[in-house]
Amino acid sequence: MAKETLTEVIAVAETESAITKSKTSPLEWIAENGIFVFTALLILASVVFVDGFASLVNITDVFHRAAPIGIVAVGMTFVVISGNYLDLSVVAQVATSAVILIAVSNEYGLPLAMLAALLAAAVFGIVNGVAVGYFKANAVIVTLSTTYIGLGLLRYFSGGSIFFGPPDGLIREFGLGKLGPVPYSALVLLIMTIILGFVLNRTNFGFLVRSFGVNERATRLSGTNTAAVVIGAFLVTAVAAMVAGWVLAAFSNTAVSAMSQGYDFRALAAIIVGGTSVFGGKGSVLRTLVGVIFVSVLTNVLVLSGISFGYQQMALGALIVTAVTVDALSRKVAKR
Amino acid sequence: MTPQASQSGDVVIEARGIVKRFGGAVAVNNVSLSVREGEIHAVVGENGAGKSTLMRVLAGIIEQDSGEVVVAGKPLESGAKNSIAAGIALVHQELSLVPEMTVAENILLGYAPTRFGFTKSKELEAIAAEALEEIGVSVDLNERISRLSVALRQFVEIARAIARKPKVLILDEPTATLTPAETDYLLTMLQRLAARGMSIIYISHRIPEVIRICDNVTILRDGQKVMESAVVETSPEGIVDQMVGRELKLDLQSRRDAKPGDVVLRAEGIRAPGVNGVDLEVRAGEIVGLGGLVGAGRTELVRAIIGADNRTAGRVTKFKDGRARTLAGYQSAIRNGVAYVPEERRTDGLALAMSVSDNITLTNRDELSSFGIQLRGKIARFSQDLAEKVGLRPPEIRREAGQYSGGNQQKIVIAKWLGRRPDFIVLDEPTRGVDVGAKAEIHKLVKALADEGTAVLVVSSDLPELLELADTIHVIRDGKIAGTLQGDEANEKTVMSLAAGEKMVDA
Amino acid sequence: MSQTMQIGERETSLWGRLRLTIARRTEGRGVVLLAAVLIVVAFTEPLVFTSYQVSLGRIALIGLVALGLTAVILMGELDLSVASTLAVSGVVVALIPDIRLGIIAALVVGVLIGVVNAFFVAIVGINSFIATLGMLFALRGLAFVLSDEAPVKITDVEAGIAFGQPLIGPITPRVLIFILAFIAIQVFVSRVKAGREFFAVGGNRQAAYDAGIPVKRRIFTGFMISGFVAALAGVINTLERTAADPTAGATVLLASFAAAIIGGNYLKGGRGSIVGTLIGATALGVLQVALTLSGVQVPIQQIFIGGILLLAVTTDPANLRAVLGSVRSLRLGRSKLQTPGSGS
Repeated sequence: MAKETLTEVIAVAETESAITKSKTSPLEWIAENGIFVFTALLILASVVFVDGFASLVNITDVFHRAAPIGIVAVGMTFVVISGNYLDLSVVAQVATSAVILIAVSNEYGLPLAMLAALLAAAVFGIVNGVAVGYFKANAVIVTLSTTYIGLGLLRYFSGGSIFFGPPDGLIREFGLGKLGPVPYSALVLLIMTIILGFVLNRTNFGFLVRSFGVNERATRLSGTNTAAVVIGAFLVTAVAAMVAGWVLAAFSNTAVSAMSQGYDFRALAAIIVGGTSVFGGKGSVLRTLVGVIFVSVLTNVLVLSGISFGYQQMALGALIVTAVTVDALSRKVAKR
Repeated sequence: MTPQASQSGDVVIEARGIVKRFGGAVAVNNVSLSVREGEIHAVVGENGAGKSTLMRVLAGIIEQDSGEVVVAGKPLESGAKNSIAAGIALVHQELSLVPEMTVAENILLGYAPTRFGFTKSKELEAIAAEALEEIGVSVDLNERISRLSVALRQFVEIARAIARKPKVLILDEPTATLTPAETDYLLTMLQRLAARGMSIIYISHRIPEVIRICDNVTILRDGQKVMESAVVETSPEGIVDQMVGRELKLDLQSRRDAKPGDVVLRAEGIRAPGVNGVDLEVRAGEIVGLGGLVGAGRTELVRAIIGADNRTAGRVTKFKDGRARTLAGYQSAIRNGVAYVPEERRTDGLALAMSVSDNITLTNRDELSSFGIQLRGKIARFSQDLAEKVGLRPPEIRREAGQYSGGNQQKIVIAKWLGRRPDFIVLDEPTRGVDVGAKAEIHKLVKALADEGTAVLVVSSDLPELLELADTIHVIRDGKIAGTLQGDEANEKTVMSLAAGEKMVDA
Repeated sequence: MSQTMQIGERETSLWGRLRLTIARRTEGRGVVLLAAVLIVVAFTEPLVFTSYQVSLGRIALIGLVALGLTAVILMGELDLSVASTLAVSGVVVALIPDIRLGIIAALVVGVLIGVVNAFFVAIVGINSFIATLGMLFALRGLAFVLSDEAPVKITDVEAGIAFGQPLIGPITPRVLIFILAFIAIQVFVSRVKAGREFFAVGGNRQAAYDAGIPVKRRIFTGFMISGFVAALAGVINTLERTAADPTAGATVLLASFAAAIIGGNYLKGGRGSIVGTLIGATALGVLQVALTLSGVQVPIQQIFIGGILLLAVTTDPANLRAVLGSVRSLRLGRSKLQTPGSGS
């Protein structure tokens, strides 16, 4: 009862003005728009200062590496915006999809392989979605467990071996294909960004994902089946991871269970750096794309500069923590 | 039994000229109060009168803007620790206990006696046992709070407050969740404590309790003290008069001329946590009000009816165009034309960070989309119409909902449901925290809805509002309907007496 | 004057008290799992029982990390960075030639990581899931950097080998350390005031603040404990293998979480016990050893453990109650579809 009275008194205080105008502090502005500026600056600086960055070979390579991670990231954005932190099992999903594509297509042809991969993605998405959306379990722990279940299954069935696609097959052709300097894989990323962006911004489902992230209770009380929304978000991620696996397999025309290592945190880094809040509700697929560009260029610059993998990882981890800190602080300032 | 009026004894705690503002509104306006040793002093007032705020100032939880609190002659500095050190103990609602710690640990939470950091469990248990004995309650000290009944938790809360032997004990609506027998026990216990010299400040709506044990009563209205007197020198009617500030005669002109139609919703045998068997019906064009004290179970009842909370028993049937449908859960209720304006609009009713049109879209998705794709133009027109219909000021549908005042926010919630043209709408405390102007507008909206044939169920702790809006009032007490008042039968006295469970006229 | 209200029966019978004790405890699921594992193993792989040193060792490692996790979970937080803390401290001890200095340095590193985690959670206010996740990634990188991406051999190989030898009967130093850690943390959480207050910080944080409990300080303590035991595990790992592996820790992370959660520690905090973690660790340790001895490959083992974790986290009693309640409600509502008829 004390709680109610206080809320009501504060609410009465609001009636001083029919509207409270909010002023955006510099910190909030940086949190909101910084990434666009930083990305542009980073690209500029890299072209000018980093040897070998601006070459055609290198740019193509950046595209190639960015594409699969980017596809995963734009898909996983749905889970992050819904307030469910992230989907760690993308690591297992990408590798599973790649292995299924090459291994199954070698025996049974491409269409069946794609169908099988779709089925696997659906299973991942539904298991994750039901556990988090219906049983209301913590997404981080759930996807941690499904990662290992998935990787375990994959390693068992694939025996850990490397699968090779036929040297003249469709997969190889796709992997080598380019439109000007832009490889097909990057085009796929672009197309997926556009499609998923449309879904997130213009469809009922995307709308519900966003409102669920802003206020789960209000969304539920407006008559929505929130479990379905969460399952949908994880399914989108699963399908995106599936496509990413195909792209990854096409790149090298091979597939092995270990090839998707690090996809979980790289995708998360891209999403968070892009400005999508890990607390849910705020963000967009476009931002994730910008984040992907930023992270990929940064990684590329680090590699070109001879910085070892370990430092790269540290840098990305630090980047995640910094971006989340900025987000958290800007929220605190906004509340005041 | 008339209590001894203690006009003797030293003044233990005194509040002088306390003023507290929140934003632009004044919650407590120059209130002074003094309590003597061994006195039980009641503080009475309607919701929003400032009682709880005043108590929080005394307990040091919030700081006053001006005025001072003096304890045993010394001025009190703000801060909970200072208040506790000065001997003031506030009994929170049971939400302040840690569910998985034992009774003994909760009683001395944060103050367990230690040696080199280790808890001295024998001493802890002794102190806890002493506190429990002082209030005369026997509970297994090692039982976890989560396994205790609500009433027991309240008593453990009280034991916690007195364990450190305070000079002043403040209780805020302690009997809200107790049965009559438990209430009786609590009141007797408080008298015993007072007889031993403890000063007690008792906040309550429940006049019979006040009359029974309190020596003096202070009445607050709209943040100001309107009366202070010895209980023996006043009467229940007098107290209610001062609380309410108007004559008990009702202005009949604002009453609707209702002509209710067929039954739209029937609830039978509803049982849920806090709801102990309720049957009710709402007809088309009728406004049914649910009155009662805080904690009586009104919100639990409506949420159980519409399925927002789980029922343990009972059936809800909805009638439309001659067909009956059993409502299985919340989603099925919404699909069948039920609308719900929740009590807490900020957490349950709106996505504050989203725009007005987004919030309106939330409940009207199907109509505003085609094959799952949102129709921007239609959304804009639809939202604009609704925003203007409810009188949102200014009706800027792209603005964030969180930027609007409380009254406007409530209008947005109503607007989003209006879009569905529901035939049954539930409103839980529709004008809490809403300014006078918006309040009137919302009342007009609700009445208009009923005039158009919607069946309306309103929960309200605001008696005048309830009396103005409702054609039929069910008064809820202890999770059951204590009585039903039709039309002119309902006035503040009849509602309050049913709500509190005792005739207010007898002393 | 001595009119007391008897509320809450006092159980005096032995059977009654036993029932009460059981009802109050949270380790139910852990006990069930342990019983199931033991029964199945007794039939399929009794070798596990005869060569119990291996089991003890596995339980000790999982349990050690799980102990630290439990301290943090009780407060309603998570520490995902333990896997990387294990790896980093393992590398640190290998890099430093003087083994005693190395061990101290590694433990200090663990505590410092805990401090950093707590800083982000308590001071900056970032959700612990994300903060420790970021640290997990960043520290993995650190482990790679320090070790130059390859296993690092320890200098004093004899000390490492000696460390693996049983000390008292079949009890190796690893198991001894675990037992000591278990006793220490159990006592802390059940008898030390600061430890008891962990339950308040997790169970009702607002009440903890109101009662004057230094919540931020407790959070720091919890994460420091978690970092410390993870570092301990890393040191043990490195010494016994005489080399540090910068990728160590992944499976242990999974198993430790499974152990803590199935042992009855509620993720939202405020409920659970160290004993439950022990039971969970025992169940998982025995399971892992049984699987290994049966020749089950590592990937399948991961499926098992992952599956147990998934089951543990979806069958949390508090969440389940809500799910079951809504299922029951829906069935109530569907009980009898009315025949067409209007109301009166």
